[in-house]
Amino acid sequence: MVIVKRKELSLSEKLYFPEIMRGLSMTFRAMFKKRVTRQYPEEPLPTNEVTRGQPRLAVNDDDTIRCVSCGLCEIACPAYAITIDGQETDRFIEREPERFDIDMLRCILCGFCEEACPKDAILMSDELELADFSREALVYDIEMLKRPVSKLRPRIDYVYKVNERW
Amino acid sequence: MELLITIGVIVAKLTCIFGFVVTLAALTTLAERKVSAWIQFRHGPNRVGPGGLLQPLADGIKFIFKEELVPKHANKIMFLIAPSLAAMPAMMGIAVIPFAAESPFYQDSGPLAIAQLDISVLYVLAFGGLSIYGVILGGWASNSKFSLLGALRASAQMISYELSLILSVMSIVVMTGSLDLVVIATEQGSNVLNWNIVKQPLAFLLFLVATFAETNRHPFDFAECEPELVGGFHTEYSAMRFALFFLGEYCAIIVMCALTVTFFLGGFAVPFWEAAPWFVQVGAFIAKLCFFLFLFIWVRWTLPRFRFDQLMALGWKRFLPLALANLFVTGGLVALGWY
Repeated sequence: MVIVKRKELSLSEKLYFPEIMRGLSMTFRAMFKKRVTRQYPEEPLPTNEVTRGQPRLAVNDDDTIRCVSCGLCEIACPAYAITIDGQETDRFIEREPERFDIDMLRCILCGFCEEACPKDAILMSDELELADFSREALVYDIEMLKRPVSKLRPRIDYVYKVNERW
Repeated sequence: MELLITIGVIVAKLTCIFGFVVTLAALTTLAERKVSAWIQFRHGPNRVGPGGLLQPLADGIKFIFKEELVPKHANKIMFLIAPSLAAMPAMMGIAVIPFAAESPFYQDSGPLAIAQLDISVLYVLAFGGLSIYGVILGGWASNSKFSLLGALRASAQMISYELSLILSVMSIVVMTGSLDLVVIATEQGSNVLNWNIVKQPLAFLLFLVATFAETNRHPFDFAECEPELVGGFHTEYSAMRFALFFLGEYCAIIVMCALTVTFFLGGFAVPFWEAAPWFVQVGAFIAKLCFFLFLFIWVRWTLPRFRFDQLMALGWKRFLPLALANLFVTGGLVALGWY
């Protein structure tokens, strides 16, 4: 058992008034301290390659999409957010997606699609903002998902670095 | 014609002063949020208008368009009139506060106040006492335990602190020998050392603390103490009726601050400038008023809420004897002719 002895108050503390003054001066000084709130839309969140934002499709420098519509991400997706229809192409890789939809309202940003992808075609970007007026508008189609690979390069390098451990 | 001018002047004064007070009340709600935010290292509302200046307007519009709910078991008539009963006396008090020594209005003599009464101190305190009815009625008519508890606490607290409030004012009245706010203000004059805050520091302190209790503000906000009573007496209120309670509360704060300024800080007196024109006097009054409004918010974020028994003990065992002793000493000094 611990017996805590009550602190003996001095006279000025018992009078209470000087202590109120001390408290008031403290709160007054607090008014001029640096504010900690982030003014969000003007001051966006800092992001880097570790940020696991919304998935995006990488587009090569020659404007061809990297995806070969293998469907692995579609299967890996735990939220069934991805829908892919493939088609043939004359390019060397022979296949490309005809339709590639990600329902952003279903997507849980888990990154499984990125892990499943054998072609580094789907990657978690640093884009985080998601807002619209209808559910339909938030089902992103292939044109909305395309991003130049140069923009996603840091993420690709990061994923490779992390996977080196295995 | 003469009558028309008189009525016109009265209407003009009413419009100016009430408009000013209601606007100030709205701005005080903004200041409350802003200062609260600053003390907590936040920014506060800054999206509506420049620096959030139009936030009260947006709040007002929101309040008007919200749905008004009347609980099923509430006493409907009482429930509906309680907010106006709370807001009205608070606003009535402003009628006798003198804002300047000379009225700028055409053919208007005397100080810049809506009404000039010989017993304006009595008038203000009487209306201050009336404002408790709105709170009690609101709490009782809601037919909810939290509302009733809040109302009970508010009434007990207001009655306890009204005593020391009035007693501390009485020492000023004894010193001045008048119940007229204008006389009390002009007696103090522009010499700062002659102000009642210097002559009656104890009364000032008691009055100030009592105003906090009287207006149900922190650290004495038992009428609406959120962790215990949800929202206190206005738990069941919504939309504009809720806003009316709020408006009444802020008007009461403004009236109380105006009274503090008039009683203890020379009212409209400008320090060291006896013959200041009326607009400088109004400016000085508003500056002093704003300081006390700021103090109300400032104290809110400094002191934790008292316990209810501590509040009662403070009111009855400390403040009442102190106020009485102060009154006796002042009375004795006045009787001996030392003041």
